[in-house]
Amino acid sequence: MSFLDTHLLSFIVFLPLVFAGVLAMLPREEHGELRVFSLIAMLTGAALGVYAYLRFDPAGPEFQLLYRARWFDEAGISYHVGVDGIAVSLLMLTAFLGPLVVLASWSFVTERVKEFHIALLVLQTMMLGAVVSLDLLLFYVFFEGMLIPMYLLVGVWGSEDRQMAATKFFVYTLGGSLLMLIALLGVYFIAMPAGSRTFDYATVYNAFLSANRELGACRGDPAACATLSPLAVTLRTWGPWMFGACVLAYAIKVPMFPVHTWLPDAHVQAPVAGSIILAGVMLKMGTFGFWRFAFPLFPAATQEFRVALAAISVVGIVYGALMCLAQRDVKKLIAYSSVSHLGFCMLGMLALTVEGATGSAYQMLNHGVSTGALFLLFGFLYERRHTRLMSDYGGIARVMPLFTAAFLVATFSSIAVPPTNGFVGEFLVLLGTFKSDLSLVLAVLASTGVILGAAYMLWMVQKVFFGQVTHGENQGLKDLGGREVLTALPFVALVLVMGLRPQPFLERLEPSARRLVARANVARPGAASPDAELLISALPLPPAGGTVAKSPEAPPRLPLRPARLATPPSSPSGAPEGVRVAPASP
Amino acid sequence: MNTLQEFFQTSPVPPNTLAQGLWWIIGLPLLGAFVCGVFGKKLGRANVSLVASAAVGGSLLISLLAFWAVNDVRTAATSAYAALRTPYTLAVDSGTWFAVGDFRVNFGLQVDHLTAILLLVITGVGFLIHVYSAEYMSHDDGYWRYFAYLNLFVAMMLTLVMADSLVLLFVGWEGVGLCSYLLIGFWYSDAAKAWAGRKAFITNRIGDFAFLIAAFLLVTLVAAFESQATRANFGFPGGSPTTFSRGLDAQGPLHFEALKTFSRALVTNPTPGGAVAAVTPDTPIATGPLKDFTYGGVLTAVLLLFLLGASGKSAQLPLYVWLPDAMAGPTPVSALIHAATMVTAGVYLFCRLNFLLVFSPVAMGTVAVVGALTALIAALIAFAQDDIKKVLAYSTVSQLGLMFMAVGMGVFWAAIFHLVTHAFFKACLFLGAGSVMHGNADETDIKRLGGVGREMKWTAATFGVATLAITGVLPLSGFFSKDAILHGIHQTELFGLPWVGPLVLRLGQLVAVCTAFYMTRLFVLTFWGERSPEARAARAHESGATMVGPLVVLAVLSVVALVYGLNLINGQPVMENFLGPVFEPARRVVSALGTVRVEHGPIGVGGYAQAWALALLGAGAACFLYLRFYPTRAGQQAPAAVAAVRRFTQNKFYVDELYELLFIKPLKALSFVLYKVVDALLIDTVAVRGTAWVTTRVGAALRYVQTGNAQAYAAVMALALVGGVAYVIVRFLTP
Repeated sequence: MSFLDTHLLSFIVFLPLVFAGVLAMLPREEHGELRVFSLIAMLTGAALGVYAYLRFDPAGPEFQLLYRARWFDEAGISYHVGVDGIAVSLLMLTAFLGPLVVLASWSFVTERVKEFHIALLVLQTMMLGAVVSLDLLLFYVFFEGMLIPMYLLVGVWGSEDRQMAATKFFVYTLGGSLLMLIALLGVYFIAMPAGSRTFDYATVYNAFLSANRELGACRGDPAACATLSPLAVTLRTWGPWMFGACVLAYAIKVPMFPVHTWLPDAHVQAPVAGSIILAGVMLKMGTFGFWRFAFPLFPAATQEFRVALAAISVVGIVYGALMCLAQRDVKKLIAYSSVSHLGFCMLGMLALTVEGATGSAYQMLNHGVSTGALFLLFGFLYERRHTRLMSDYGGIARVMPLFTAAFLVATFSSIAVPPTNGFVGEFLVLLGTFKSDLSLVLAVLASTGVILGAAYMLWMVQKVFFGQVTHGENQGLKDLGGREVLTALPFVALVLVMGLRPQPFLERLEPSARRLVARANVARPGAASPDAELLISALPLPPAGGTVAKSPEAPPRLPLRPARLATPPSSPSGAPEGVRVAPASP
Repeated sequence: MNTLQEFFQTSPVPPNTLAQGLWWIIGLPLLGAFVCGVFGKKLGRANVSLVASAAVGGSLLISLLAFWAVNDVRTAATSAYAALRTPYTLAVDSGTWFAVGDFRVNFGLQVDHLTAILLLVITGVGFLIHVYSAEYMSHDDGYWRYFAYLNLFVAMMLTLVMADSLVLLFVGWEGVGLCSYLLIGFWYSDAAKAWAGRKAFITNRIGDFAFLIAAFLLVTLVAAFESQATRANFGFPGGSPTTFSRGLDAQGPLHFEALKTFSRALVTNPTPGGAVAAVTPDTPIATGPLKDFTYGGVLTAVLLLFLLGASGKSAQLPLYVWLPDAMAGPTPVSALIHAATMVTAGVYLFCRLNFLLVFSPVAMGTVAVVGALTALIAALIAFAQDDIKKVLAYSTVSQLGLMFMAVGMGVFWAAIFHLVTHAFFKACLFLGAGSVMHGNADETDIKRLGGVGREMKWTAATFGVATLAITGVLPLSGFFSKDAILHGIHQTELFGLPWVGPLVLRLGQLVAVCTAFYMTRLFVLTFWGERSPEARAARAHESGATMVGPLVVLAVLSVVALVYGLNLINGQPVMENFLGPVFEPARRVVSALGTVRVEHGPIGVGGYAQAWALALLGAGAACFLYLRFYPTRAGQQAPAAVAAVRRFTQNKFYVDELYELLFIKPLKALSFVLYKVVDALLIDTVAVRGTAWVTTRVGAALRYVQTGNAQAYAAVMALALVGGVAYVIVRFLTP
């Protein structure tokens, strides 16, 4: 295994930060230079991201490209990174959006250009870091670290009411994540006996597994509750609280109804770059949190509250769509549509079927592309007219035909018209929900999102693009320029590629989804997944003395594939492999 | 005769080779759409129309070959779900589209007789309309955009009929809806036209919502069946549970072959002496989310949902309201999309799923009654419409209702027959209407036309032929197809619902009279009589050759399509014989379950005479009223009651207003109230700002605690100490 492979994730994560440091030393008046420089940084990141995505072996072990180094031994914190299918997908999405965000802000941001790009690059590091972390505290650091540059993006480069929106965003999310910190500390203290306490995700998960199994048995048969192990007893009492704290933190980030009200304000006030990142990546940190931490670590609580959470997601889908119908402000409408779309993501995950979870993960990527494109394109229009009200537009299609065509493609992706990417995701989510043991009523209600989505998006399109040009200012608007076309084109291409050839993306997500479902179903009476499918194999701590863990020979391959897909996973040589950390004895 | 038969049964291209080329049928128009859309502005008008027409023309040629090939005895497709070969079917599977968990969809096409007929209709009529459009749209700025959309539409429609699974069919289904949206709102600068497009799309989306739910239920149903079915279920040649499961892994549960095998296995009677109980439609489902419902019950629900889906696309009750508004689009679009092809997708869907529909007499009866009521209501509304395109639109809704009646009663071949003839004569009528508008300064009000026939001889003649065809006058195709439907209904009885057949039949005959009336009225007012003094153009002018040519071809086709209705092969009408293999699975289900009872018998002379009398009755009444009665009373006030009925009909029975009041207004109000009350007030102000306010207040209050007074601090410390000690003492003293 080459040096590049072991350090690939670290490169990807910290490259923007390094560039930010260099950027800080460049002269502040050289706007063009600053922009080109950060574009190069982002492009390099994107290239590395694509490389990592291709390097990731869908049939290989769960976590790949692993790297672990000692950090705070005393507190059981290590620098441990690695990606599974969903993480590498979100990683690529983030890396892909990076250069486009810089391009989108090319002429949008004219004040404090240097600081703006530094904030963007730092933000990029934080988001990428959160996705690859395999250490609870490392994740927390990145998760919180995201807030600061985002707060600045909204608060400094935002629109008229930016201070309010930035503060609201910051306090809202911080409130949630502090609760999460308490939950993570709780996990730290109960997972392992004193002396070997650790924040390592794999160790903690493996330590919880048998206790969670006991809780599952206890849920099915009260007699089994009498013989719980000490850890299971603790988890039974405190698990729901820790789960609740995590849920609140992630639900705010997603955002789920009713803790979504920061999102419209933040989106409306944010500059175009902020909106794209917020919608494209940051909201997914919430769903990713559920996927990585809340469901696998607390499967008993997950089973307990699953129906309620699914109901809230469905409320989010319908409620978000209804909110869209009441908006006059385009950006606010797109923001509320995110609430609706993320409701689909949550529902698919909560269905706990492979179809639903895979669809949910795919929908996360799709939402990044389609809503990112909508915010990007509307940003172009806003730059020309400086108004967000639908009533200030009308007849734009005649003035800006190219722009309209791109916007329509993004719209149809957003309302899931086949063969765009949105269709595949939404179809899988709904299919998974119908196949799950959630009630059919919920599934049918969720499906009404199909109608409402078309209603509000086409209403907005109608108001903005069709009809006569009623405002004189709109008469002379210029159509998209070369740089703008270049920015919009990747989005349009991806909408079609992900719609027509979804399989390469799905095959990376499916094994992850399968494991998520198996892990969340551990606490279901009669769950049959053997430990081998559930335990997380990861690197052990490297020996003291500063050297890094070397990967020994490949461990026995986990049976990833379902029996029906009969093809045996091909065995790629040289794929990064991990060593399983033995589950702690209670 | 035998040589002729042999000639037609020997495909010039080997079927397997042709199957590989099926994608080109879709690919050519798609390519055309791309070229016109991206380079259209640079290519210029003539080149754009050439590219677009050539693309559809190319598709037409391959479709002809495919049509030829499905008659070839060598043609057969292997079923993945049973060790069977489906005869007379071309199929190509180009690998995975997406596959997750147990679910899988492949990019696969199949062409059987049903698809082959529709291919010819779509590419044939489509080609003629492209040619026609070259002149019709020659003065429009959005020329290239128009042809790009039109080509895209053809591609999507072809996807719809060639898809080998419900999911791919849905791609076409939504795709045609999308193109329809773009084309209705083609002149988007007129806000009303853009609204009409949006209305069409959203109404269709309501249907799509039902379609999707039905598809999901089918997936769960097939999964449940797979786990519950026994070997006894697969007691037909080539059937076995393992083959079925293997097929599901290879091509997914929504492939039509999967559903066909499922339907066949569900009615397989256990072999005598076989001990294993087989799953029947009355068996409750054992596992999964549909537990305890019976298979038959879920199928009925699925079919009713498909009916809602189909009524969105095919403009049936209660979702027909979008079609009349869709006339905002260019007239050739109305001819192609809103008459000949897209709106028949619902009929196609049920014919494709014939083997499921016949499981449920309830669903069949509902389809038939919905069709009959739609046909009648639309025909009545058409009585009082003065816009030439609106009359034709309501007429389309009405004729689609007839097709639904046929489908609902299980007379699938007659529905398809009428679909074909309707495509010819209705396209001819719409294009004729377009020609009239073209020659009369875009006038659409028939009250302001009149006497056009003198100046536009070709248009009038072709329009006349098509009118006779739709009216159902004897030697034209419309007569045969309409009579095939009515005759088929007459012979059929649904199990448990004996009243449906006679009711639908009477309604159908009433519709026939109404059709004859309003079509004659339309023709008489437009082409005969004196020129209206309010006419926009003093003299009409006949359209050019590229517009008249398609009209003539379509008029000829609406005559010669009668061949399909003649009892030429084995004593059956050609179309029935031709579609026999397609509807064989349905026949199998019917004979096993007895859901439909059919008495076979040829149409007697009495039947022909009755149908002709009905047509003449309607036509005669219209001729009398509009040629004799009204002209003599011009200027007189109509009686109040008559005027009221007329106004009520003219306003389309106020159905749009009713929907607005019942659904749209409440939804808008609800969203506004929720936004203001829940979002802005409860969550944001009370909860969020409330928390902030409480925090501020508490902070402000606590500020006074921090006085900096050392004595006060010491006092608090002392008190706390005393309290702590007291707690410990109490704690230890109490047992």
